[in-house]
Amino acid sequence: MRPGNCSRLLFIAFAAAVVPFPGYSQSSSEPSSTQWLSASAAARFLDQATWGPTPATIAQSQQTGISNWLAAQFASSTSDIPDQPMLTSAGLPNRDIRPVQAAFFQNTVTGQDQLRQRVAFALSQIWVVSAGGGVPAAYAYPPYWRVFRNNAFGNYRDVIRAVTLSPAMGRYLNMANNNKANPRKDTSANENYARESMQLFTLGLTELNPNGTPVLDQNNNPIPTYDQTVVTSMAKVFTGWTYPTAPGATARTNNPEYYVGQMFAVESEHDTTAKTIFASITIPAGQTAEQDLESLLDALMAQPTMAPFVSQQLIQHLVTSNPSPQYIARVSTVFQNDGNGVTGNLQAVITAILTDPEARAGDDPTAAINPTFGHMREPVLFMPNILRGLNATLSSNSAVYYDSSEMDENLFNAPSVFSYFSPLYRVPGGLLGPEFQIYTTQTAVDRAGIVYAALYGQIAQGTTVNLTPFVQQAGSTSSLLSYISSIFLHGSMSAALAQAATDAINAAGTPLAKVQAALYVVLTSGEYQIIH
Amino acid sequence: MLSRRGFIRAGAATVGTLALRPFGLLPALAQSGANYRALVCVFLFGGNDSNNTVIPMDDASFQAYTSIRGSLALTASELTPVVYSVSNAPYAFHGKLPELASLFSSKELAVMANTGSLVQPLTRSQYQGAQAPIPLNLFSHSDQQLQWQTSIAQGNSPTGWAGRAADYLLSQKINSSSFPAFLSVAGNSLEGQGASTQPVAITPGQSLTLKGFTGSSASQARLNALTSLLTTDNGVSLAQAANNNMANSIADAAALEAALAKTSPLKTQFPTTSLGSQLQQVAQIIQVQSYLGMSRQIFFCSLGGFDTHAGELEAHNKLYPQLSQALAAFYDATQELGMAQNVTTFTESDFSRTFQPTTSDGSDHAWGSHHLVLGGAVKGGQIFGQFPTFELAGPNDTDTRGRWIPTTSIDQYGASLCAWFGIPASALATVFPNFANFGSEQLAFFG
Repeated sequence: MRPGNCSRLLFIAFAAAVVPFPGYSQSSSEPSSTQWLSASAAARFLDQATWGPTPATIAQSQQTGISNWLAAQFASSTSDIPDQPMLTSAGLPNRDIRPVQAAFFQNTVTGQDQLRQRVAFALSQIWVVSAGGGVPAAYAYPPYWRVFRNNAFGNYRDVIRAVTLSPAMGRYLNMANNNKANPRKDTSANENYARESMQLFTLGLTELNPNGTPVLDQNNNPIPTYDQTVVTSMAKVFTGWTYPTAPGATARTNNPEYYVGQMFAVESEHDTTAKTIFASITIPAGQTAEQDLESLLDALMAQPTMAPFVSQQLIQHLVTSNPSPQYIARVSTVFQNDGNGVTGNLQAVITAILTDPEARAGDDPTAAINPTFGHMREPVLFMPNILRGLNATLSSNSAVYYDSSEMDENLFNAPSVFSYFSPLYRVPGGLLGPEFQIYTTQTAVDRAGIVYAALYGQIAQGTTVNLTPFVQQAGSTSSLLSYISSIFLHGSMSAALAQAATDAINAAGTPLAKVQAALYVVLTSGEYQIIH
Repeated sequence: MLSRRGFIRAGAATVGTLALRPFGLLPALAQSGANYRALVCVFLFGGNDSNNTVIPMDDASFQAYTSIRGSLALTASELTPVVYSVSNAPYAFHGKLPELASLFSSKELAVMANTGSLVQPLTRSQYQGAQAPIPLNLFSHSDQQLQWQTSIAQGNSPTGWAGRAADYLLSQKINSSSFPAFLSVAGNSLEGQGASTQPVAITPGQSLTLKGFTGSSASQARLNALTSLLTTDNGVSLAQAANNNMANSIADAAALEAALAKTSPLKTQFPTTSLGSQLQQVAQIIQVQSYLGMSRQIFFCSLGGFDTHAGELEAHNKLYPQLSQALAAFYDATQELGMAQNVTTFTESDFSRTFQPTTSDGSDHAWGSHHLVLGGAVKGGQIFGQFPTFELAGPNDTDTRGRWIPTTSIDQYGASLCAWFGIPASALATVFPNFANFGSEQLAFFG
């Protein structure tokens, strides 16, 4: 990042003109006795915890309050992505993941398990498997998605275990059929899953304090969590697993690809030598593949770096790109110990993330704006938010996945295991802005075009929006803007945005045209792009 | 309305150097192409196993290659032989790179051997004894990609080397237009991020028109509303960053769209692959460089899929034809445009891969890698730098698997390209801060 002092001072000077636009900030009054939350606080919370607030969900969460809302979500029934055929009607391998993508987006709009889906999606962006990058089989994705759906409120250890043994990941990072070294051929065990499971899924590159800052050695240098010798040892830990045996097939040492069920151990291909892994932990010689995996899971869960490493990323996906060290510390403390001595309790972690004072500070419309707060609505959040806000109906072949792809987030098709964007990507000025990595010249223009299409009758096939509730407000500009702000900006529309939208409304003729113009200006605005 | 490109990034200290430019401005006078120069980066994401891209074919080397590489070793029939034009030493290209082998033989393509991220020159004993600085997070994809893009082996650079080169171009007003000098057809890349300049990133073949503006008064009011908001601030820094990005995007997209309307169809047929489309788009932009007001441009393309821990030979058999055909078509297009002397294409990649295979017929992350430099100005048919000794635990190995310690640094590679591009020696030290650690020694690719 650039040295910040000068730009920060200038920034403050430019930031001075933020005043609530009279009438557009939803109720800042105390909630009534039957309402735990103001409408704006409820909408703001739902922007973090769901695929987007609607008048109905705002009203409902106002009544329940956050804690009861969370409890209901933890107990909610789960939506599903239907299984896909292995073969096409022509008998060829089925590589069409569009039905999987379509079901995903349909669930975002209609599923009751909103928080579960959001957390599962966040986990899937950490634990990436990609159709374009190595696992083209469409039928691999529903079971892989269910790993995150099923464990979203479970324990992180179970996520690690389930993904490690999932054939989709086995294929993607080559743990499937990773045979032990063959001295005759002078080969070594494959290091792919060994390295990336540490770097991306569990520990990261350097040891972290609970607040996410690097642990420093006596020379003030970060301490690597592992080196190449650890990667080599970890590759041996992960030897001796193969794909599930397909129905009707005979189990082999190296089964061919099959993506239903879990991988199973083939002890003859497991390296049984002792392995010294991270933190100088030794996995003893003579263990089975299964025992080695359990030893490794024990070792991983005991690493204090995992809590801040995972917590920070979950905060970034749900709430804000630049959490304070104190926020990270509060969440990672819960990750480390949920209060009952359990490490990795995701339900407790998600609760901590969403109820943290830093996450909730902006609920109070009179509170000073935290300039570093918020995160960009990535395409997979952007589309459902618009669709839900516009009362959309998606048929089972809705092609909204195409809009997301056009904005460089092609669901289940990340460019690599490093996902669509890096948690470390920075915007000019130095703030972390992971989602900006895919906010390019092209996708910025495309994003505005997608808003236009959604509002002006050109939305993706199999999708309809219903602007009637907005048109009903169009008789009064202030009512219309207040209504739009309540849904899309938790009542926080700035004076400048309200003025710009008013200008556009005034140039439009019919009530529908006024609604379209106002929504266009709001949904293309910078303040809408950033969930804050 | 003025765009505020780079405002927040640059801060007060460099505000005076920023380009403030109107939307859609085009230069009044088109420039001649004679003095035009472009660098075109093709980034091979995932870490190309260049041990199988170019292979020395002297008996000792090829024997060691065959023996150690085992299941990854290509046989003579899977290789296309070429000859190093200076020493007549035999080399070979992977057999799925016939166009590139041909360009090497016709002296339009050179090979830069064993190049990678280094803080300073490094020996095996220094590496193993931790007696000298080594690059941050070696063997990590993300870190090594960024080190290729920033040429800062110590890591954590906010700018890329091409972005710093673009900063220089802007400071000297080398281009007559304020259109950014760095343009990616493969997404945002740190490589093109400058301190005072920001890159353009477009998707080949995709419309850059902002939809929905018919010229009616209502649509004009909507456009005015949208643009007026880009210079307002609701107090959220990331919203401001989004506004800046949108403002730049609208301006850059409009300028590019207007210039591209001047293209005439190229006769050169590009392959219908991702890289083919990217390079075709680059060729079209080069064709209209005068309308954009550009005399120096850096382009960024990419091809992914090189992380071949398993099934490497099959993967290369799919990837290498894409690479070879797209690069050859692009070179043909520069010839068609009369710009072959003015355009140099070069490869980058995370790292090369272990010389010793994995049990799954692939290779793991390594370090120094061979790269390709292509263009009419290039002294082709030559091998620059040194090939490693093919010996596990040998003099070039970090450990025992053939992870070659680079013998040429990214700084030297990049500085050599930039010197041709027109960055003077006085500015190279800013673009490549570690270059002096290598005696500021360039490679003689050109001339």
